[in-house]
Amino acid sequence: METAVIYSRSRLVAGFVYSLLTVIGIFVLFPFLWMLLTSLKQETEALRVPATWLPQAPTVEAYVTMWLRKNYARYFLNSTIVALSTAVISTFLGAMAAYGFSRFRLRGRAWLMGFILTTQMLPGVLLVGPYFQILSSVGLYDTRTGLIVAFLTICLPFATWMLKGFIDGIPVELDEAAIVDGAGRFEVFARIVVPLIRPGMVATTLFAFLLAWGDLLWVQTLTNSEAMVTVTLAIARTVQEFYVKWPELMAGALMGGLPGIVLYLVMQRWLVQGLTAGAIKQ
Amino acid sequence: MPASTRSWRARAEVKAGDPLSPGPRPHPSTAIRVLGFSLRDRHSGYVFIAPAILLLVAVLAYPALRSLRLSLAHPGPGPGGVTLLQYGELLGSGLFRQVVRNTALFVVASVALHVALGLGIALLLNRPLYGRTAFRVLALLPWVVPDVVAGIIWKWILNPLYGVLNEGLFRLHVIAAPVEWLTAPTLVLPSVILANVWRGFPFVMIIFLAGLQSIPAELYEAAAIDGAGTVQRFRHVTLPGLRKIFVVALALDTIWEVRRFGLIQAMTGGGPGTLSEVLSTQVFKQYFQFFKFEYASAMAIAMTGLLLVVSLPYVRMIVREE
Repeated sequence: METAVIYSRSRLVAGFVYSLLTVIGIFVLFPFLWMLLTSLKQETEALRVPATWLPQAPTVEAYVTMWLRKNYARYFLNSTIVALSTAVISTFLGAMAAYGFSRFRLRGRAWLMGFILTTQMLPGVLLVGPYFQILSSVGLYDTRTGLIVAFLTICLPFATWMLKGFIDGIPVELDEAAIVDGAGRFEVFARIVVPLIRPGMVATTLFAFLLAWGDLLWVQTLTNSEAMVTVTLAIARTVQEFYVKWPELMAGALMGGLPGIVLYLVMQRWLVQGLTAGAIKQ
Repeated sequence: MPASTRSWRARAEVKAGDPLSPGPRPHPSTAIRVLGFSLRDRHSGYVFIAPAILLLVAVLAYPALRSLRLSLAHPGPGPGGVTLLQYGELLGSGLFRQVVRNTALFVVASVALHVALGLGIALLLNRPLYGRTAFRVLALLPWVVPDVVAGIIWKWILNPLYGVLNEGLFRLHVIAAPVEWLTAPTLVLPSVILANVWRGFPFVMIIFLAGLQSIPAELYEAAAIDGAGTVQRFRHVTLPGLRKIFVVALALDTIWEVRRFGLIQAMTGGGPGTLSEVLSTQVFKQYFQFFKFEYASAMAIAMTGLLLVVSLPYVRMIVREE
């Protein structure tokens, strides 16, 4: 009798939990679905009231326009080059710095780490002004290199911090054993530590990629030519136009979100591990 | 032992067997070598951190100091030297006060809702459920797309004439006329916050879920044996176990939301008028549209000060741990 009551009560709880999660799931996923459906509609249909659910006359016109008549191929290439370079450089330099902080009793270590931590807090708008001037004076304004340098400001502090959490988790005895065997420090780093923190490296690279890919502020201020436009800037420019073609804009938004989504789905295990490892260690 | 270490050992042994190598060293000289190594070792530590530190000084500290200097300069061609003119102007500006209020509302509401939703859902998910992994994986999707993209999707959903939200509410007889979500003065900030909640709560949820799963089950069992009920277990086991992660999530989220730019820029551009201007969009405008470099810098410095104050507890916690 008592077990039956508990059983039905737990059934009730489970039912409640599942329905709540369903509502949340709809809240999370519906905007993506709506973006996809709109991008496959003709403009007149997208603006129809009452709205249609599924496209009545599905078309990929919006995508064709994006890739063939507009310059999205170039925007995509720009975003990819810039985000990928930033991700690789910041992960590599971040891993080195993280190793240095994790393994050495450096003079002023607390200050230097405080410095790295503080740099994470500086807002982009504090830096874009001077950046604009500095990059102009060294001829890097409106170049991909300039953008990569700028994105390092966002990604490198985070990469260092994230990877330090991973390296701290690797026993120092491994380093010591290799050093006794005659390995140099850089060899220890490259051949022992880096392979062991591969999940962290993947997570950090992905995270840095997402940060750089998703930026708008720096791209908007540090470039001005059509040749340097990135995907996010292209989308932001389109939405500010006087007449917005929503299917096209949704197609652009979808393409802008897709690389992040695909990379995340492929590497989600490592990303979640990497994001939480630093925060979890007690 | 990992494969890399093993192959390392193997190579070291091959080296030792090499007739040209000096062979096993006598003990004292090894000691000296190790001593010499450890003396140099400290230097190699600096070599490891030098590239990152130097780069950050060049690309972050230097521009930041330039901003500070600019915020204290006389605007236009005038006398050199230092002035607090811009900061005075800031304090007297009604627009600045409005922007600070907007930012505060945007950040506090976003972070509070992120944490409430994130913690709530993490607690729901912290039990055996069908499809839990799938839910967890998919729930993070809003967080991986650029915030510009998130802003645009919601701008379309909230469109007064063709938006799907108005249509849904209309069909449910909640509203009788189209709601101007992004142009009505009282609705614009809540609407932007709604989009930002969608974009940001998944990260907090994932972090909390990881935190919940790191609390040892024995603690709950021990509490249950001692007669603690559900509420007591939550108060005395769950909450203390989440304390650190709570600080981290709160700090990171606050820092990110104070700096948020693309979402608002894409959704409203700060409008209508200046009703949804936050610090980041406003500094951007003052600098690149009105060319008030000194004034914009002062505003950016004020914003930085705010960020540093807000993140102080987080920094203190981390420094104490190190």
